[in-house]
Amino acid sequence: MHRRLLSPYTKFDKFVVYVGGLTMLFLRTITWAVRPPFKKKELLYQMKKTGVDSISIVFLTAFFTGIVLAFQSAYTMRQMSAEIYIASLVALSMTRELGPVLTALVVAARVGASITAEVGTMKVTEQIDALETMGTNPIKYLVVPRFLALAMMLPLLTIYADFVGMAGGLLVGVSKLHLAPTLYMKKTFDALVYKDLYTGLLKSVVFAGIISIVACYEGMRTRGGAEGVGKSTTLSVVISCVLVISFDCFFTALFYFMF
Amino acid sequence: MIKIHNLHKSFDGQQVLKGLDLNIQKGETIVIIGRSGCGKSVLLKHMIGLMDPDKGKVFVDNQNVADLRGKALDMLRMKFGMLFQGAALFDSLDVYGNVGFSLIEHTDMKKKQICDRVRQALESVDLTDVENKRPAELSGGMKKRVGLARAICNNPQIILYDEPTTGLDPIMADMINDLIVRLHKQLKVTSVVVTHDMTSAYKVGTKIAMLYDGRIIAQGPPEEIKNTKDPIVRQFITGAASGPITNNRNYNYK
Repeated sequence: MHRRLLSPYTKFDKFVVYVGGLTMLFLRTITWAVRPPFKKKELLYQMKKTGVDSISIVFLTAFFTGIVLAFQSAYTMRQMSAEIYIASLVALSMTRELGPVLTALVVAARVGASITAEVGTMKVTEQIDALETMGTNPIKYLVVPRFLALAMMLPLLTIYADFVGMAGGLLVGVSKLHLAPTLYMKKTFDALVYKDLYTGLLKSVVFAGIISIVACYEGMRTRGGAEGVGKSTTLSVVISCVLVISFDCFFTALFYFMF
Repeated sequence: MIKIHNLHKSFDGQQVLKGLDLNIQKGETIVIIGRSGCGKSVLLKHMIGLMDPDKGKVFVDNQNVADLRGKALDMLRMKFGMLFQGAALFDSLDVYGNVGFSLIEHTDMKKKQICDRVRQALESVDLTDVENKRPAELSGGMKKRVGLARAICNNPQIILYDEPTTGLDPIMADMINDLIVRLHKQLKVTSVVVTHDMTSAYKVGTKIAMLYDGRIIAQGPPEEIKNTKDPIVRQFITGAASGPITNNRNYNYK
């Protein structure tokens, strides 16, 4: 007990140090991102790895969410004979909320974990030290391409998820609730305004930053071999998910009061 | 060439280096011996600026390493080549990408020129036709040799070896020792070798220094160290289980 009292670092200190570390890494990443030379080949490779390779998992998540959303809302709407509004409900929920958040959570689990495991393994096998001894900055070489790739690919995946989710809703609307497809589509697009899409996309850019910076930061502070890599990978996913949800709450409230 | 003065470093309250002094002359191969975990690798990492000292200074070519940042530090690091304990090859790149890394990243050399340099570096560590292999496809000894080729590819003035023979079979270990001696003669570089393998230490070193309790407690030519009367050094070089190092954990060297 007395040891804990005498310990110079409290949990709060550690939290402040952690947030400071994330902020510093973010600022350094931005500084290195605008400084040539630009690694186009590595960027394209990371875009494929983070974006293109995530298409199937995003498809499944968004499609099933769209279906579930339609069914669940039908349960209530049917009592009011307002099934037709399911189209608008699915469209708005997907673009404003579920598209960006679910995509970010899936990508945090898939891509964030893989980034942390890769960077963490590089750290414990001294590959990051080796980079530095050869005069190469690890932030420029490792963090910048992953950060930029995710910042470009997550919004694209979000748009994709929005449409796939609406398609899931359409499937339920047409096959089970017997709504006409054209009517369903019309109701969907009538309900949407540009603001719905771009507030969702703005969120997804922020989520991309959170996922890549947390994943790289956790990777770079990995210590202690395979066990350490496991721990930091878990932490990376947990912290990214919690931050994504918290920032989502913050932005939703902000947009609600602003617009 | 490298001057270390009163170097202190601690981790989580545990002091690893306690006022270490060491001078390394140009062209010599100094072998730093000591038990595992005594701070040998930490010392190497201070020389190349991967760690900053808590107290004390490390000078390389009269520049204080801890004062250098950014480009200046990168320039200093380009004078070094370093062979890491586990070779630390980049998994995502093939052997060509690994060995030619500095040239690809920091020079405007054409691909053909880089290929030639990579081939030369690989030949000097007795490897051929491995350029397209991935590190995962190489054996432990080959990884070390590729690591060594990477360390010498940009013609360094100083090569740091972190436990070059650890984890290798005796024959491969001796081949690595031969390579270190040969590279030293061919390239006329200054070498710093950290090891606890005494066979390797006697074979490659022009000078041996023993690190114990955070300081250098003895240094001299291999013959002198071999015949030393110092009980601590004697216990270490003969590999005896009992002696002052193990009998008295708090043995303070004066």
